[in-house]
Parts: sequence; C-alpha cells; structure tokens
Amino acid sequence: MTVSRVFVANRGEIALRVINACRALGVETVAAYSEADKDSLPARAADRAVLIGPARAADSYLNIESIIAAAKKTKADALHPGYGFLAERPELAEACAKNRIKFIGPSAESIRQMGNKIVARSLAKKFGVPVGAGSEKIRNAKEAAKIAATIGYPVLIKAAAGGGGRGMKIVSAPRELQRSFETAAAEAGAAFGDPTLYLERYIANARHIEVQILGDGHGNVVHVGERDCSLQRRHQKVVEEAPAAALAPALRAEIQAAAVTIAKKSGYENAGTIEFILDQDAEKYYFLEMNTRIQVEHPVSEMISGMDLVQEQIRIAGGAKLSLTQAGIKFSGHAIECRINAESAAHGFRPSPGLISAWRPPIGENIRLDSHCYSGYRVPPYYDSLLAKLIVHGRNRIEAVGRMQQALENFHVAGIDTTIPFLRFVTQRLEYVKGDVNTRWLEALLAATPLGASEVESASA
Amino acid sequence: MELTQDEVLKILDLIEKSNFDYMQLQVGELKLTVSKGNYVPQSIAASDQPQPVAKPQTPAKESKPKEKTPAPKPKAAAKINVAGGVPINAPMVGTFYAAPEPGAAPFVKLGAKIDEETTVGLIEVMKVFNAVQSRVNGVIADVRVQNGQFVEYGQTLFVVKPETAAKKKSR
Repeated sequence: MTVSRVFVANRGEIALRVINACRALGVETVAAYSEADKDSLPARAADRAVLIGPARAADSYLNIESIIAAAKKTKADALHPGYGFLAERPELAEACAKNRIKFIGPSAESIRQMGNKIVARSLAKKFGVPVGAGSEKIRNAKEAAKIAATIGYPVLIKAAAGGGGRGMKIVSAPRELQRSFETAAAEAGAAFGDPTLYLERYIANARHIEVQILGDGHGNVVHVGERDCSLQRRHQKVVEEAPAAALAPALRAEIQAAAVTIAKKSGYENAGTIEFILDQDAEKYYFLEMNTRIQVEHPVSEMISGMDLVQEQIRIAGGAKLSLTQAGIKFSGHAIECRINAESAAHGFRPSPGLISAWRPPIGENIRLDSHCYSGYRVPPYYDSLLAKLIVHGRNRIEAVGRMQQALENFHVAGIDTTIPFLRFVTQRLEYVKGDVNTRWLEALLAATPLGASEVESASA
Repeated sequence: MELTQDEVLKILDLIEKSNFDYMQLQVGELKLTVSKGNYVPQSIAASDQPQPVAKPQTPAKESKPKEKTPAPKPKAAAKINVAGGVPINAPMVGTFYAAPEPGAAPFVKLGAKIDEETTVGLIEVMKVFNAVQSRVNGVIADVRVQNGQFVEYGQTLFVVKPETAAKKKSR
C-alpha cells in the first residue's frame, strides 16, 4: 500500500512543509483551510483545497468530523496532522483507521500511551531508561508532601495529561506545597479535563535534550540525532539546536540508545521525539516524556543529517521500510533554529496579528526558512503566532551562531511586530554565544533586562 | 586566516571580564556579535533599510478586521458619548468571551454595577487571553457584543451609564 493523496489537516508553515514533501515524492495533496485561511499559501499551493469551517479552530482545524468528511470527499488515502491541533489526539488516528485513511503518525494506542506522562514514565522505567526521582499519581496535597519530603525540595508538580507548561509548578519549600498543588490541579483540570498530578525532582541546572526517532513498523527504529531546546520562555521553545553541544560523546550515545530502546520496545511507528532532562552538574539524564508527532524544531535535525523527516513519515505511512539504517545516517556540522513569532517583546510579548506590509527574509547558503508568510499576507488573529522558522547550518556551533546573527540582521518585516529584534538580542548574548546556558537562563535574562519600550519603539508605537 | 571554534571560545573567555557592552569579532568569513548591553527593539545595523515605521499607512479601509493599528492606544475609550453613556471599546481585535469559561456565569450583565477595575470580558487573540477592564464607574446600560463574537479593535462592547451622575441624583 502506498500513499497517493495526502490530506493536510493543519495550517501555516507546517501545512506548507507537508505539501512540499508530498510534491517531492510525487504525492497529491489536499489542503484543509478555515475561512480565515482562504488566501493562505498552503491553500493555494496544494493540488486541491477544501474549506472545513469557520475561523474558530474548534469549528475547523479541531473538528474531527469535518476533517474526516473532507478527507473522504476528496478521496485522500492518507492524512498528515502536522503538529498542534489534532496531532496528538488518539481520536483522530482512530477516526482515520475507521475510514480507511492512513494516519501519518503512530497508532492511536501509542498516542494514548505516551500522552499520559505517568504511563510513559513507568514504561521508560520498565525498559531500563532512567527516570528522575518522582512519584506515580498523587491524590492530594498531603500525599504530595510525604513524597516531596523523600525526593527533596525543590520539587516539580506536573500534570499527567500535561503540555505547554500548564499544570506545572515549582515548589521550593513545604509550606508552598498545598497551594501549588491545588492551583496545578485546577489548571490541569481546566486545560486537559484531567486534574491528575505527579511529582518530579526539580533540576536547577538543566538542559532540555530530545532525540528524534523514526520507526517503520517493520521492527526498524533509528535515531536522527538529538536536539538541545534549553532556551525556553514560559515552557515554549524559542531557539533550538542540533547537536546538543553540552553532551560528552559517551553520554550522547547513551541518550540516543535510550531513545531507540523506548521506541523499539513500545512498538512505535513513524516519527517521534523522546525528551530528556540533562542534569548538567551530575552529568546524568532522565526521561521526561515522548511527543508522538513531527515537531516544530525538526529542521535542525534535517540540517545536520541531510534527511527529510516529513518525506520519511509519508514513506513509512505507505508501508515502506526506512530508507537508511543507523549506520547510514551521518551527521555533520551544527544547526540552529529561531522561532519567529508575531509578538512584541517590548510589550510583554503581546500578540501582533495584522497585515505584513513588507516581508524580506535573508537568503543565502546554509540558510533555510520554513514559512507561509509573504508581503501582503494578513496574519489572522485566531491561531498561534508562529510566522517562520529561520534555520542556519555551520561547520561548527560558533559558525552557526555567527550565521544566525547575520541572518536575523538581514530579516526585515514591516507592518506587524515580530520577535526578530528579541532573537537578535538573545543570540548576541555572551552566554549564548559561548553556549553557557540552561533551561532557566532565558527567563533569568528577561527578568534582569527590561525589554520595555525604548525610545525607538515608542517613536513608532 | 581561520580560527577554530576553540580559539574563538578562548577569545570570548578573555574578553568576558573586560568592560564592554557590544563588540564585533570578524575573522575570515566568521562575523560574530557579542553583547552584554540592553535590548534594542530595532536593528542597529538596519541602516540600509527604509525604517519599517508602521505609522504612516492608515490600515486600508477595505480590510475588514482592523488588527494591529500601530497608532493610537485604546485608552481614550471613555471619551465619546454613546446615547448618554460611555462605551467600553475592544482594546484589541480578537474573539470576545463573556464568561471566564464555557458554561460559567458572564462577567457582567445588563444592569450590573461596575467600577474602573471590573473585568467585563476576555478577548482571545492568537491563543492569548486578555482581560477587558471597564475603566468606567457605573452601570451596564447596553450589551453590544455576544459571547464568542469576533470583535474589531475599537468596537463598542458595552455602554455604561456613569456612576458619578447617578450618585448626585440620589443625594
């Protein structure tokens, strides 16, 4: 069974990315679009486009019935969910299976299993992969206090159904526990409909390291290197790199092998990412969670491996075996990605939708831009604020950093606020240039350096 | 001449303790900027570019949603009189929510007493929820927006009968 027509159930840059991958493979595409995305690039770039509903995501990109109906009507034999929206909803994978549409991603069972962080943790443990000191499901604040005392403060309260930092709280002393527990449970309940919490030891000097894996459903699983995504603001990644410069070769090999073990033993098919936390002081790593989709930051892995991960996803969904063995995957150089959002950093990262009057991205060797934007494009206010991903490659990290700085300097956007000036600021910091950061660095920098409106900003504001 | 990564890092170590805000290092093809200074919202090196001053073009009339008006701040909302009342206008474009969560009671109803600090609704734009504050003391005299409705910047959401006038009367 091969895939011949892919329904793209997403929008923005990832929809365009999937369409381009399909085109390269000679596969037809049908783009789903909402009323707000009528004139969007993906809707125009696909072989066909189907209006699936009004602007509101709940009525369009999050509406499984509409999406399945549109995919059937246009006789698509496969569906790519992108990331976000329905990508990690097992119900979509199930609905696809029921309607004989191949879901380009893992099985509904895998999504369900890994979607529950407590289940995922115990699976990792069972497979012999280190998980941080922590708990199973905790019922109340009293139980939490007992476990926290054995783990040692600070502890991290997390939501079993978690994501995006909601339901997550750092607790540094016992007296804060009760209140944090209640807030976290309420947040988790509101955001995921499941208030279940668990505890983890909080690691102060940490790096976020994740390993890209691919499984073909024929028993073959490979990793495509790791990424360092330690630069985060409010648990949202801001800058990502590959490889992770902080890892010594032996530790790198260990983490990669651990990721392959988890994917292999859980029978995982298609692309996925295993997230770890690296304790920089102890030089130890722990399993965090698994993401059962293609991720925003996948291009950095492509840049150092030369692989096209989305094309691999489509081939795997069509029943093919992996195109490369582990030994065949060679890594070279260093890649960095910056997420460019429609936000004003000087105004507390306020969203900035609207008309892009000028869009002049940098062009050059070793520069890649994944974006759906253009001069004259109106950024709708309904969806997330990602405009573009700017990716550069260098022979080593310093070269890549210099190239990213240049690329950001040559990126000009007018009409709306973007995070480009903020990214220039971040990538020029001495600590960043040296690679001397951890997961708390960016927030600490923001706390110490006011980004508030300067003269230049207020003159045009 | 080309420097290795280690050599560049060594240079950075040397300059780390020195007193600088901003420096550029150029070795062969490698151009590196290192800064300890403050945030600059506009590019310093963008002098070759026409400054993207968003001000001049008044957002085209034919365009429906009036997003991101780079010009005025919406704080002048309380100025215009709407049928004897003071309007509460949308401070931004987005989806208006009358209640904190689906099924919950709305923040305010017709006839509700409010003060300057009262939250009268939420506007969601790009997945960020923003509280709309009344900024007026008084009573909700008219509700001009529905839950879930898409509102434009400056659109009137509520009309408030100011309290000061009412107070004087009752005295």
